[in-house]
This record gives sequence, structure tokens and C-alpha cells, in this order.
Amino acid sequence: MITTHRGTEAQRAFLDRARRGLLSLAALVALTSAATAQAPAPATAAPTGNAQRGKVVFETTLRCFACHGYDGQTGSPRLVPMSRSEDIFLAYVRKPATQGMPSFAAVSEQQLRDAYAYIRSIPQAAPAPDSVPLIKGILDRRSKAN
Amino acid sequence: MADSLDRRDFFKGAALGAAGLVVTAEKAADAVAAPAPPPVTLPTDPHAHDLAYAQAQSTVTTPPTRVATQGRPASDFMVDVLKKIGFEYAAINPGSTFQGLHESLINYGKNTAPELLTCLHEEAAVAMAHGYAKAAGKPMLVAVHGTVGLLHSSMALFQAWADRVPVVLIVGHHRNPSGVINRPHSAQDMGLLVRSFVKFDDEATNLERFAEAAMRAYKIAMTPPMGPVVLTVAAELQESIVTNEPRIPELVVPAPPQGETAAVREAARMLVASDNPLIQIAKLGRTPKAWDLLIELAETLQAPVDTLGYSSWQKFPSWHPLYGTGGRGYTPDVTLGLEVTDMSAQARAARASNRKTISISAEHLFQGSNIHDYGRYADVDLAIAADAEATLPSLIEEVRRQITPARKTAIEARGQRVAAAHKAGQLDGIREAKYGWDASPVSVPRLIAELGDQIAKDDWAIVSGHQFTGDWQRRLLNHDKPYRYNGDCGGFGIGYDTPASVGGALAHKKNGRLSVAIVGDGDLNFSPGVLWTAAHHKIPLLFIVHNNRAYHAEVMIIQRMCGVRGRGNENAHIGNVIADPDPNYAQLAKAYGMYSEGPIEHPKDLAGAYQRALAKVRAGEPALIDVVSQPR
Repeated sequence: MITTHRGTEAQRAFLDRARRGLLSLAALVALTSAATAQAPAPATAAPTGNAQRGKVVFETTLRCFACHGYDGQTGSPRLVPMSRSEDIFLAYVRKPATQGMPSFAAVSEQQLRDAYAYIRSIPQAAPAPDSVPLIKGILDRRSKAN
Repeated sequence: MADSLDRRDFFKGAALGAAGLVVTAEKAADAVAAPAPPPVTLPTDPHAHDLAYAQAQSTVTTPPTRVATQGRPASDFMVDVLKKIGFEYAAINPGSTFQGLHESLINYGKNTAPELLTCLHEEAAVAMAHGYAKAAGKPMLVAVHGTVGLLHSSMALFQAWADRVPVVLIVGHHRNPSGVINRPHSAQDMGLLVRSFVKFDDEATNLERFAEAAMRAYKIAMTPPMGPVVLTVAAELQESIVTNEPRIPELVVPAPPQGETAAVREAARMLVASDNPLIQIAKLGRTPKAWDLLIELAETLQAPVDTLGYSSWQKFPSWHPLYGTGGRGYTPDVTLGLEVTDMSAQARAARASNRKTISISAEHLFQGSNIHDYGRYADVDLAIAADAEATLPSLIEEVRRQITPARKTAIEARGQRVAAAHKAGQLDGIREAKYGWDASPVSVPRLIAELGDQIAKDDWAIVSGHQFTGDWQRRLLNHDKPYRYNGDCGGFGIGYDTPASVGGALAHKKNGRLSVAIVGDGDLNFSPGVLWTAAHHKIPLLFIVHNNRAYHAEVMIIQRMCGVRGRGNENAHIGNVIADPDPNYAQLAKAYGMYSEGPIEHPKDLAGAYQRALAKVRAGEPALIDVVSQPR
């Protein structure tokens, strides 16, 4: 099986069918889960959207931050680092696999690509916990607690 | 203020002037010395419902008291009853339907035990009593105006009901209302307005009945499952003269029921034989004893303790090795619920997989409710209708008796596995605080971690819930005392945290504890006047406003609904955000006379702001820090 930064060839074909509404939700869940499981590393292909416009989409137009945090890291689930490829991302947000995630099926493709570009532009590095004195202090106290 | 004028009946001078009746507070006060009320001309049309007619009739039919009361006011006797019960505080929002009792409390009762707390909204008064009861372990008295005050109270009574917390509320009214404006403040059946979510209500028709009703109401409020109670007291009775003073009965609160011996023995047998027992708790912890007893049971069994979610009082130390659900892969074969209101889901899941459930709860004694919070029918394997706290000693004793040496070895091995899994999981959970650590708006874990650092040497108590801050409090702060956390609202309604925090802080004040409340901006806006109550009564408390400028849970659910209906997501914020203009909660607090700082948008500014505000709190004042924060 060939695995690319956009998932396997099979996954891409699967996504095409998903876009055309030919797949069940359960099948899409299986696909997206598999994509996540097989590609834990951040996506690497350059996004096609505009990150600057995407920030507006993320923070103002669609308010993605309501669940995921302004920086895509403080909410749930975390979006940074983004492991999904652009196409898988688009397919997912249009027909999410979970009830908690709203469907953005009625949103323009360009807006979604821009939002994806913005998410990809967010710096990925969170500080190492031990390098933050407050967090390290809490870790030390918790370790000593029992 | 002229005592003839109902607080809510008092129309401004301009309106009265239109009818040629200028009755000001000063003139009414002057009139006290006059031998008779001034002549009043009523409008010719007795059916006129205009403002002037209403005011005139009100003035005529309830004239100011001009002669000192002869004899002992009945409301003085009522105060004696309330003092015998032992109320420390009475949260009130004033109203003419309990003016007799109000006057007796402040003059005859000398405004001590109970001391009046001036509240700017009845919902805040009851919510304060709710928070106080959980922190103090006993009810606060609340007094409110007829109908209007009770209706304002209703939401907070519902929350206390859903949280199984005792509150004793007195509502005034007129048995025989004679004024146009007094009539809406009276009712044939006042308790009916809130009967769906109070445990008991009564109206006494004479003083002997009042004394008994008050004792009975307190007893019922405090008997598990606990809950709010309402006493209706007519103004006529309050303002009557005692002619034959009745005896004040003794307050007798019954000992809560313990589990039946054979049933407790069977519960112990199931738990001892279990390979993977799990203890779940919710409304456990009427008294601090439950904290120690639960630790003892958990350690004897080496069983993990799941404190469940927002509706739980969460009375188990958050950094204890047994705090958690056992770690990944731990599938409980016996689940023991202690005061878990609704175990139906656990029971169904267990029956589907040949596992067992036990419920020990006073909820089994519950007689019914219009509110569906009792949940679905729970077909647990063993139900013990008893107070779990009262039953724990016998359960622990029986578990100890049944543990054989062989079981002891297995139990100890389980404890080590569970502790290791919990520790690893909790350390990972703490490490997650790194995400968004330097972000602006401020992340919730940063907001809490900075706080924890500064109160580490204080004897602190979080007096707000954690419904909107996730489990970060319990991850980052060691809840190692029963009073560290005061629980959530119970009924999942916004508007509880801010006033309940003031009540909780009041309870902690005499113990010298440092109280902190992390409240949402949405919550604060329901009863902001309670900031003034905290400032006025010098209740030390640090408010941290988790200001995400929206009802963010609702943003998310409307986003989802937009998606379900395929009509675009761009309007999901409408009706949900609290911005444009952005409210300035620091200025709001200042307006109420409270030290405040903010809005703070950058995490680097948190430590200094906390430091300055905490200095005020340690000196005995409330303070508020407005933190612009990530959604959750």
C-alpha cells in the first residue's frame, strides 16, 4: 500500500466517494480514524489556502476557536499539530465522524482551505513541561504526593 | 423610608405629583408624629387602574405606623424561634410582606445570629445560602418578599433542590391583602409557586404552629436527602401581638438512617470478592467525616474512587493514589455508588456484561419529584436505602472482617497497579498544561496554575464550581482537604457560581481560609450585585473572572445545529457572545466598591495581578481579577 502525505491512495478514492455522499458515516469514521492512526506525524504538504484569511475564518466567521481554542491547542480535540491532509480535513469537517463536531458542509471550499492553512501556520511547539517552572513544580508536588 | 410604602410599591414623586398626591419618604416620616393621616382624595372612578389610583389606595389602606406597638410583637417571638434553631445568617432582599420580621431581626434580635446579609436579588440570596450550606454544613436562613421575591428565588431553589442542599426560606405575604399593590404579593397557596423543587413547604396560621413549622422545616431540610424548604408567614401574623406565648419546641434533627445489617454484609461480600471494584460518589459528604471514611474504605479495598462529573460534590483527595477510575483497561466488575443520584446507566451497562452494581443512597428514600433529575430506573443488583455517610462505618467494618489473608494479598497488588496507573495518567494530565501556556487570551490551566502557585501556603478553598473550567482544578491543585472544593450548582443552570461563592467564602471566613472563585463572565452577569454584598459585608474572596466573552457551550451547540440543518455556520455566534462592546468586569467590581484589576489578556500579567488582589483578600476584603481567557 502506498502511503502519501494525503493518506493512502485507497483513502483518497474513499474521500472522493465521501464527497459525493456515497459513503456511510460509519465508513467515514473508519477512514478518518485510520488516517489519524496511520499518520500521527504532522501533515507536510503545503496548504493551498490563505492563512491570513483563514485566521479570520477560524476566529470570526466560523469561530472554530469555540471548541479548539484560539491557537488550536487549548481546546478539544487539539488541532495543532494537524495530522490530517488538506483533503481529509475538508471531507471531515463537511461530514464529521462525531456528534460533537458541527458539520461545515454549507461552508465554501475556499473558506475551509483557508482555515486549514491557518491551522497549519500555527506554531506547533508547546514548551517542554519541565522547562516551565510552574508546571515542573506541580509535577514535582504530584510525584511526591504518593 | 416610609413603612407604608412597599419597596416595590414606592412610586417616584413625579408620578405621584400627577395625581396631586406628593408622598415622599421624608413626609411620611414626618407624618409619624401626626395624630392622623392627611386627608386623601381618591379618583372618582374606583375602577381606574392608573398609577395615581393605585398609589392613593395603597397609601390609604396601609397607613404608616404612627403609634408604638403595644405589647410583644409576634415577629419578636419568631426571632426567638430562629435563634433557637441557630441560624448564623439571614440573606434577604427586603419587602413589605416581611417588614415585621425584618424589624424584629434588626432591633429585637440585634442583627446577630442571624445577622442580615443584604442581597440585591433574591436568586443571589438563595444561591449564597446554597454555597454557604455546603461549606458550613448547615443552612442559612433566607427571607424574601411575597410572590415577586419568591419567584426571583425560584431558580436558586431549583439548584439547591437538584444539588440536595438544605436552604430554609421564609416568604412573607398578606392573608387578607387590601391594597391593589399588596394583592399581587399575596397568594392563596404561596408554596405552590416553587413546590416542584422544594422538599417541604408550610404556612403557619398562629405562633404555636409557626414554631413547630420552623423546627419541622429545618429538620426536613437537614434529613437526607437534604433539600430546600419554604415557610410562608403572613404579614398579619408577623405584625400581631403575642397574647399567649407558646413554648418553643426543641430542634430535633433525626440521625440519618444506616444501611440494614444483612444488606451491608452482602455489599461487603461483593466488594471483597471483586477483582476490580470501583467506588463512585456524588452527593456524599454531608460532614467532613465522610472524607475520612471514604479514604478508609477505598484504602481497605484498594479500590479506585471515581468522583464522577459536575453534579458531584467530589469529596475525595484529587492527588490520592486511588483517585480515578483505575487506569486504562481497568474494567470494574463491581461498582459501588455512594449517594449517586442516577445509577441507571451503570446498572444497564453492568447487566449487559455480567457485572454488578450496588447503590447506597438516601435517594432511595426519595418520594417523588416533578423534576426528572432522579434519572431513569436503575436496576442495580443491591440497593440500600440509607445515608451512605452513616453507613460507611459499618460497611468498612464488614469489609475488614471479610478480607481473608489471600484476598488481602490480591487487594494490595491491585492497589499498586491502580496507583501506578493513576499516577502516570495524572502526570500526563498535568503536562498538558503546556498547551497554550503563553497564549493570549490566557489558557485555563495557566490561569489555575498561576493561582495555585500563589496560594500554596494558604489554607485555601475553591468556592465555585468547575463546570466551565474542565478538570484543571483537580489536575493542578491538590484537593487534600474536604473543603478545598465546594461543588457545582446541581441543576446545570448558569448564575450559581458567583453568589454561591460569596456564601461559601462567608462560611470559610471564620476559619481563616482563603476563598477563591473562578467564575465565568456569563455566570457573573446573572447576579453581579452580589459583588456589592461581598464588599459591604467584608467577605474575603478572590473572584477570578474566566472571561471568554461568550456563552461558549451555546456557541458550540448552535454551531452544531447550524451544521445539522445545513444552513451555514456564520451566524452561530448571534445570541451567544458577550462582546462588542466588551464588558469590563474590573470596572463593574470597582463600581460595587471592590478592589479589581483587568481585563488581563496576557499570561505574563497574571502573577502580579493575583499577588496584589490576594493581598487584599488576606487582609479581609473581596477582590476581582478579570482574565480574558480561552473558551475553556
